[in-house]
Amino acid sequence: MKLIPTSSQTVGPFFSIGLAPLYQNAAAEASNKTLTLAGKIFDGDRQPVPDAVLEFWSGDSFARVSTSEDGSYSAVLELSLANSAAASSDVLIFMRGLLKPVRTRVYFGDFDAVKNNPELKAVPGERIGTLLARKAPAPYRYGWDVFMQGDSETVFFHF
Amino acid sequence: MTKHNDDQNALKNSQPPHLCQDYVSTRKRAPSKPLIELASSLADLRGPVFGHDSIKPEDGDLTKQHSGDPLGERIIVTGKVFDDDGRPVSGALIEIWQANAAGRYRHKNDNHPAPLDPNFTGCGRVLTDNEGRYIFASIKPGAYPWKNHENAWRPAHIHFSLFGAGILSRLVTQMYFPGDPLLAFDPIYNSIPSQNARQRLISTFDWQTTKPEHALGYRFDIVLRGTKSTPMETTHP
Repeated sequence: MKLIPTSSQTVGPFFSIGLAPLYQNAAAEASNKTLTLAGKIFDGDRQPVPDAVLEFWSGDSFARVSTSEDGSYSAVLELSLANSAAASSDVLIFMRGLLKPVRTRVYFGDFDAVKNNPELKAVPGERIGTLLARKAPAPYRYGWDVFMQGDSETVFFHF
Repeated sequence: MTKHNDDQNALKNSQPPHLCQDYVSTRKRAPSKPLIELASSLADLRGPVFGHDSIKPEDGDLTKQHSGDPLGERIIVTGKVFDDDGRPVSGALIEIWQANAAGRYRHKNDNHPAPLDPNFTGCGRVLTDNEGRYIFASIKPGAYPWKNHENAWRPAHIHFSLFGAGILSRLVTQMYFPGDPLLAFDPIYNSIPSQNARQRLISTFDWQTTKPEHALGYRFDIVLRGTKSTPMETTHP
């Protein structure tokens, strides 16, 4: 039998002491080679979550950012993510109140491309939209909110 | 029950559920809909790779980050990081954060009326060596009160964050101290169904690494999920 992995515990409310923003093969600053993804995280009462950390795992690039007092985050990601219909980044989210992270994914293609993605066939049609980043009016800017619970709850995957 | 089922149960019970009523913050933050199986859920995604250039020597010694010595009981925390096949994981980034000896975090939202220590930040990072070993020097954190329930106190703990080979081995956990009477009352520690798994979060006192006239040694070994793991849960919690 394999060894049992060590148990997960919450990051708690004070993780920013130890989990500083972290980028790898990704730029911390926006440029013409990056896209900027921004949004908010909401709890089951639709209150913003001011103590969450998001990690974007996409190919060789990695970005870790935290939410602010108003629940908002902003991450600078590789522009190549925006270049194909299936382009996506896996996302891990940690926060006070999560004893283990949730795993989700954000797609940058259009709705039909994401809806028809065979990998997502287990996702109920009405929930597909929770995985889709919105193209913002400004170039290379996208919006994506995360809802932990409720009717508009973001799709979370087994992890 | 077959051996396979026993193993699956041991694995499942080693991790806390998302929803744990006794830990009040989970009630509005745990996913309420079933988690969804993704075709590539079990595929590992390569994670960030960290070089020694990103770590400064004082990052591993939390008692040497300021001009003076922090107050408190000096400790040396060592351990090994393994994958679930028992192989050492080298080059793993470990980040830790903790309260000071009085139980106060250097964080603007910590209102516990215990003193801050000007000589203690409470943040450290190291990479595991070729044999998966790591070492931190610090001070023993104090217990601190929280608002979860009447007269709630967290047992002394150090937060650990680890990056292994990929996304599946990503782990954030907490290391506790042996003999802490608060463990029995702590909903975060007790959120883990398996007693065996819970107890593995308690470090052991270690004479071998205890330094005469200087610091007490504690040992904390960690097992990360490997790249071809079974999922942590096969049914909705």
